[in-house]
Amino acid sequence: MAASKKSGGHREMLESMYSVIALVFILVACVELCDAAAVVDVYRLIQYDMSGSPFGSRLASLNHHGASLHFPPGADLSRTVLIIPLRELNITFVREYIDQKKPLGGLLFLLPQVFKSENGGNKQIHEIEKLKSMLAELEKLLIHSNIPYPVYFAFENDDIDTVLADIKKNDAIGQPATATTGGYKLVIPTPEPNKVASPTITNIQGWLSGLKADGEANQLPTIAIVASYDTFGAAPALSVGSDSNGSGIVALLEIARLFSLLYSNPKTRGRYNLLFGLTSGGPYNYNGTQKWLRSFDHRLRESIDYAICLNSIGSWDSELWIHVSKPPENAYIKQIFEGFSNVADELDVKVGLKHKKINISNPRVAWEHEQFSRLRVTAATLSELSVAPEMLEGTGGLSDSRQFVNETAIIRGVKLVAESLARHIYGHQGKNVEIFADGSSLAVSPAYVRSWLDLLSRTPRVAPFLSKNDPFIMALKKELADHTDEVNVQNEVLEGLFTFYDSTSARLEIYQVASVTFDLLLLLVLGSYLIVLFSLLVITTRGLDDLISLFRRPPSRKVKTA
Amino acid sequence: MTMFHFFNCAILTFGPHAVYYSATPLSEYDTLGTSIKAALVYLGTALVKLVCLATFLKVSDNEAFDPYQELLKALIGFIDVAGLYFALTQLTHRNISQNHKFQAVGLGWAFADSVLHRLAPLWVGARGLEFTWDYILQGLEANANLVLSISLAALGSLMWLRKNKPKTLIPIIYLCAGIVATMPSITSYLRRGLGWHFPKVVGFELLSSLILAFISWQLFSACQRPSS
Repeated sequence: MAASKKSGGHREMLESMYSVIALVFILVACVELCDAAAVVDVYRLIQYDMSGSPFGSRLASLNHHGASLHFPPGADLSRTVLIIPLRELNITFVREYIDQKKPLGGLLFLLPQVFKSENGGNKQIHEIEKLKSMLAELEKLLIHSNIPYPVYFAFENDDIDTVLADIKKNDAIGQPATATTGGYKLVIPTPEPNKVASPTITNIQGWLSGLKADGEANQLPTIAIVASYDTFGAAPALSVGSDSNGSGIVALLEIARLFSLLYSNPKTRGRYNLLFGLTSGGPYNYNGTQKWLRSFDHRLRESIDYAICLNSIGSWDSELWIHVSKPPENAYIKQIFEGFSNVADELDVKVGLKHKKINISNPRVAWEHEQFSRLRVTAATLSELSVAPEMLEGTGGLSDSRQFVNETAIIRGVKLVAESLARHIYGHQGKNVEIFADGSSLAVSPAYVRSWLDLLSRTPRVAPFLSKNDPFIMALKKELADHTDEVNVQNEVLEGLFTFYDSTSARLEIYQVASVTFDLLLLLVLGSYLIVLFSLLVITTRGLDDLISLFRRPPSRKVKTA
Repeated sequence: MTMFHFFNCAILTFGPHAVYYSATPLSEYDTLGTSIKAALVYLGTALVKLVCLATFLKVSDNEAFDPYQELLKALIGFIDVAGLYFALTQLTHRNISQNHKFQAVGLGWAFADSVLHRLAPLWVGARGLEFTWDYILQGLEANANLVLSISLAALGSLMWLRKNKPKTLIPIIYLCAGIVATMPSITSYLRRGLGWHFPKVVGFELLSSLILAFISWQLFSACQRPSS
């Protein structure tokens, strides 16, 4: 009796304990811990719609097993992420997979560390050039296809290299990673990507007014220097565009700095207004430039003598091109070209003239100056590229990173533009006067160029993902404000065909997982261990007969022993 | 799949305790109360130990093996023995035979240890996607710990409860009890002083626990003989 009472008390106690235990369990279950074998920063392939048709990677979240390129032939890859290092990339293989729409769980491209912006690696140039062209080709392929699974880019590091080596070893023995055989699981817990609501483009303009003589009624003529600053690439979070058009921005800022020095002194203040424009929307037919020009009142537009657009001037050796839309026989074009080529001769570089007619009916605007030309403003683009890039190409993608840009090239470019502008402004055409001579107080500053180039090479600048008050835009505005009299920021909505989706970067967690078969086997082993233990204990403490009777008549046992 | 793994590890960690209870005569004599009391005593002992550790031990950032600190830790570890002494001698439950009492106390002791030290890491870690052998090894360690606890309780009951034991065996009993009580320090030395890996340490623990259990069993039955 006492025993039964006591056990009843126990039961109550246990029941009250259960609720406490359950509460504790619920609390603990809420704690989410990340204990992955490796955590890697990954950058998603851009996802966008162009006039309604979908492009890029259409999914973001990932939860699949990893496989290397050495997967056994005929394996089902629809639930597998292929990990492809750029060094081993076979572009025809990827093209085949994408074109034939073969099912894949996902793609993860590993980029060598040399493409990382902070990295100033100087390995075999030849190999890097090969990788660069391969990357450019891959980027072109990915941007222009519609891929129904997640595609990510990551930089190689020790963690992911060991994981990949392990996966390769498994694949080599012909054991593909699936739910039943273990291996590595790649998890990216990201919500569905959302549309970027009304992406803005921000144009920044700086105004440096010239010296107006007393009683002069006419407006001073204006020279515009323009560079588009945003980028577009396969991975928006990696599109830093050091050359296109980081080099143009750097050159523009340095020219603004040099002329602000000249214009701060009334004696050297020129009789031209200078207009500096940092425009956005460059990859989208220079949409921002168009909006910016439309916002001018027509007096200002008519006062523009000519505009120089700077585009990709960071990795040339000896030849730059001036692209124009008016025929070379045009007097203004002739004047600009002669101004540049005179200075170029002194700097020991070559400048070529390229004429490309505008087709008004064609919506494609290949060069920034074409937006000016459409509004009948004389304009030219200075670029190292000899032919116009295609839509969404040469806009600062993955392969356009810092170590492919040459500072001295930019410095020569700056000198070329500044010198020819100064000769035009002060009327020294054809004379051999060096205003921005090396060593003088007006020399081009390599440190300034380098620091801005480094900053730009770290800052992804895809316009839809740059907010109006992005620190980068604020920095550009402040820098331009330091060198000019008046700075205006113009916010516009990026209109047209494009829709963008967010979640451009994420964290990839790689787990080493056991297979279900392993767990089943373990359960079997443990079960038999416990059964053996039970039998052994019963036999040693109560004897074999007890064990047998336990199985024969379990309910009558208690009565017997009592 | 991960819940499955957690389930497996939990079986390995806590299963043997339940099996031990149900397979041996402990269940027939309803010694659950004794085990629960022993577990509560363990909780109290653990608290005292924690306070002592926090008071006397310096916190070292590196995982180096410091002999002085380890000695202190081993001394604090002997609080366990005091707790076990309390559980064996002072707890008056319904009069169960000494034979069953030490088993019940050892079982409760080991179960409380497992719950306190292994349940939380298991819950947090084994449910994750990442697979490691650690939790399976930890379960094996719990098994070794069960064997050791019961051995220590057996030796303790020999030391403190049994009056008429052969004189020649007394030093051996004390020596064995000393070894069993210092096992945590020994394994800690192996792991950090000699830098053994976890699987090796667990293997050592399993082996040594079996050997010590065998010796304790022999001692216990040797003491049993003259009295019966």
